[in-house]
Amino acid sequence: MIECSIENKIASIALNRPDKRNAMSPEMLDELQSAIDQLPDDLRAITLTGNGKTFCAGFDLKRCAADPTGETMRSLLSGLSGIVSTLRSKPFPVILGVHGAAVAGGCALLGGADIVLADRNAKLGYPVVKIGVSPAVSAPFMLASITPGAARNRLIDTELINATRAHKIGLVHQLVDSPEHVRSKAQQIAEQLASKPTTGVRATKVWLNEIGAPMTNHAAEGLHASLALAGNDEECTRLAELWGN
Amino acid sequence: MTKTNDPILLSVDGPIATLTINRPDARNAMSIEILDAFHAAIDDLQSSDAHALVITGAGRAFCAGMDLKAVLVELSGDPSIGKQLLESLAELTLKLRSLPIVTVASINGAAIGGGCGLACVCDVAVTHADAKLGFPEVDLGLCPAVIAPWVVKKLGPGVARNAMLMGGVMSGSEAHAIGLVDALANAREELPELTKQIAERLATGGAKALAATKNLLNTIDGSLDPTLVRKGAELSASVLATPEAQAALSARMNPSK
Repeated sequence: MIECSIENKIASIALNRPDKRNAMSPEMLDELQSAIDQLPDDLRAITLTGNGKTFCAGFDLKRCAADPTGETMRSLLSGLSGIVSTLRSKPFPVILGVHGAAVAGGCALLGGADIVLADRNAKLGYPVVKIGVSPAVSAPFMLASITPGAARNRLIDTELINATRAHKIGLVHQLVDSPEHVRSKAQQIAEQLASKPTTGVRATKVWLNEIGAPMTNHAAEGLHASLALAGNDEECTRLAELWGN
Repeated sequence: MTKTNDPILLSVDGPIATLTINRPDARNAMSIEILDAFHAAIDDLQSSDAHALVITGAGRAFCAGMDLKAVLVELSGDPSIGKQLLESLAELTLKLRSLPIVTVASINGAAIGGGCGLACVCDVAVTHADAKLGFPEVDLGLCPAVIAPWVVKKLGPGVARNAMLMGGVMSGSEAHAIGLVDALANAREELPELTKQIAERLATGGAKALAATKNLLNTIDGSLDPTLVRKGAELSASVLATPEAQAALSARMNPSK
């Protein structure tokens, strides 16, 4: 479910569950976490993209709906939070390329990236309160990325925005004209970053993490707030309605 | 009053003071001499009656950043200059940020690295469409640690992260689009008039009200805590001293080698 290859000190990671629009299952997140954990320390950049028609549709809600205990939801929330934190803590730049859509958990992955590109028409956002899930898990990372006002708006409003709008609010840094070119553009940026003297790039990333720490230090609280709701009546009812059973 | 060959020129016209970085033959790059004079000028302004301070550069550039000739040890012969410059720049940014007079960076030309960082410290930044701005430190093996806290406050953390890791430079128009500058003149010739309009508008406000507002914003966004900026000077100096950074700088200064 995860493809990972390393060439010239650039790791290319791809979400590979295209028939499910790369929706996150607990197994897939385990695979992603372990792929990131196993990356060598001397890398110069990582790219994270998705195979198939879309970057990532978020959690596999069919799996969540089938588990009224909330355990699947809790596993996904914890897995996602761990991945975003681990990506952020890497001492080399993370380039994330969105094509098609980055919805809910898929959009949350942006919190672990330093450079985000997206195709002009990609859709991004957090419609998760519709199904009774709190995106609090993403809040610390959104606050460490875009302005507090925009972060508040994005996390609370269920509307999906297109990448052009996301670019205006700073959630996306570079626009790509077509979805087919997102991966090659991500690779190109990774090569560009990898060609710069390493010490300065690493020091800069680590320093920016330190400057942003007052926000990201709340990661555990964000996760806790999302976990606290998993499996409650509201969420179970809404998930069941969504899947018509 | 300052003389025309002084490293920093300071003039006052009614409620508006203008500080000009005056080293046009070196694109107003920050040497120890420039920084010392800059500190002295801001110290003088502490007791001034001015309501607004415009900062600009003499000649074609606003400020090309740190004086690379001084920090390249093979040219200067003195490995301590880089740290001195960075520490002085760090203190200057803190002093400028807490000055109880609103500041306007009028970016007449290139604002690079530390020069662009100075613009981010100002309360308002204006430029023209063709100016060149940016943070190419990583391209030269350096780390923009002193100015990073200011750039993050100006651009927001994510956009600042992108700008400082990607390096390179951007046009005035691109800088305006990402919020690095607040107002944009269509052409270089129109910048003085735009700057004048903005400075005059600011200067019509009550000086005490402006100072109180600025102080509150500084308090809320952590600008009055010197810890990060000072630590940034240490970090930046340690990266600058690495053989990798010195080699990258040497290659930039001697492209034929």
